[in-house]
Amino acid sequence: MTPSFDDFVAEQVTPLLRYATVLTCDPHLAQDVVQEVLLRAQQKWERIGSVDLPHAYVKRMVTNEYLSWRRRRAAKDVALCMTTLESVTPPVGDTTHHYDEREAMLQRIAKLPRKQRAAVVLRYYENYEDSEIAQMLGCAEGTVRSHISRALATLRMDHTPEPAGVGLRLGEGLS
Amino acid sequence: MNDTEQLIKEALGQLAERTPHPGPTLNALRRKRKRQRNNIFLIATAGVAAVAVLVFGGLVASDRYAPPLPNDAAAALTPSAPGALKYQPHWLPDGFVETFRSANDGSTERGWVPANAPADGYGGGPSVTLSSGQGSSSQIGEWRDVTVRGLKARVQASGEQAVVEWKAQDVLVVRVDRVADPEGTALRVADSVRADSNAVFEAPFKVKGKPAVVFSGTSPGEWNARYSPGRGPFEVTVGKSKPETGDAPSVPVEVRGKQGVIVGGGTLVVQEGDLWITVSSSPADKPDAEIVAMANDVEIASNVDTGWIRKK
Repeated sequence: MTPSFDDFVAEQVTPLLRYATVLTCDPHLAQDVVQEVLLRAQQKWERIGSVDLPHAYVKRMVTNEYLSWRRRRAAKDVALCMTTLESVTPPVGDTTHHYDEREAMLQRIAKLPRKQRAAVVLRYYENYEDSEIAQMLGCAEGTVRSHISRALATLRMDHTPEPAGVGLRLGEGLS
Repeated sequence: MNDTEQLIKEALGQLAERTPHPGPTLNALRRKRKRQRNNIFLIATAGVAAVAVLVFGGLVASDRYAPPLPNDAAAALTPSAPGALKYQPHWLPDGFVETFRSANDGSTERGWVPANAPADGYGGGPSVTLSSGQGSSSQIGEWRDVTVRGLKARVQASGEQAVVEWKAQDVLVVRVDRVADPEGTALRVADSVRADSNAVFEAPFKVKGKPAVVFSGTSPGEWNARYSPGRGPFEVTVGKSKPETGDAPSVPVEVRGKQGVIVGGGTLVVQEGDLWITVSSSPADKPDAEIVAMANDVEIASNVDTGWIRKK
């Protein structure tokens, strides 16, 4: 039976926002992307609601919206910074020294080209296989491996471990 | 899984913890859906009213005659002139080349990226932009007063970004992103900006006589241009690369005398020679016939000047 659009939104809005936040590295942009995608999904709900996995379809719409040219300029203008993130939700307390290292890694992930970043998110956050990532990004599996390999090379190259306590300061730009 | 991969997982997990509350998204969605319903009602009402006015107006005006003003025809036939970009920086960081131009409603923008930048140069790497006709809306730090060639100016900087704004004949803004010494670089670029009457924005295509507003490329043979009237209802792109449509459901349509496809119900794609035309309805609620009609109205320029792409 086709779920109603309202039921779908009630159930999926938070997972979609979470995915979009990780994908865009920007909670405001994530809200914008998810809103636009849900509006479009609602207009085509008769068809989308009848596919096997509506949530997977809509998630793919979120990915495409993020990767689409319409968002390129916007993303260039939206600087990811800690104040932006923290104006939406405060960081969760973490007293370990890994915190700074993770923040630094986030900075580097935010600077990756979009397709590389999407591939990294799908691999390391969503735990997708290459074939699933290829389907989501609309490219070949070899291209996915290439994106991830390049991303890892960049992230490793930039990775210079810092002593505990020396990390990103509040308000410092991430992108 | 090695240390880097583990750290990536942890970093992404940490970012996910900052997911915004769904309340604002749900409220915005509710408001937009309501507005859409109201718009449909308003459009229907306006349509009925317009028909009534036309019928009544036609009846009243049918026995009057007013000769056309001599300038009317000339005004209607004047082609839209190519947009003058008007300004050129004479100093850029080493190796930077131009990949982006836009002109819209009197404001212009040009963008430069490192020559070895991947993709379209806006994938998150270093960039320098010069815009005219519109002040900066960025708020990356506190504005401070400076001078650019003796003119009063202001600068703001944060991290790897800096913006300089000043008023010459037009308001000019230089923005640099992800470069070393962003403030120093932005000020040096700004100091080097001079009027340049040779730089023009030549749109590669028009839609009903209105030129594309954005033109960018990674090489003279690999470019993309966009026409988007405000925030909709249509956006048109013409470019050398085949658009990525994934495996969304597609329906064949006849457009521009050849076969194209409508993908995902809101985007039309058709190939013409070595160019790809894409028309997207946003939101994707336009009938296929309207999207096809929009694509039929695209006029591609016979000689597209792409010689500026990847030049300093």
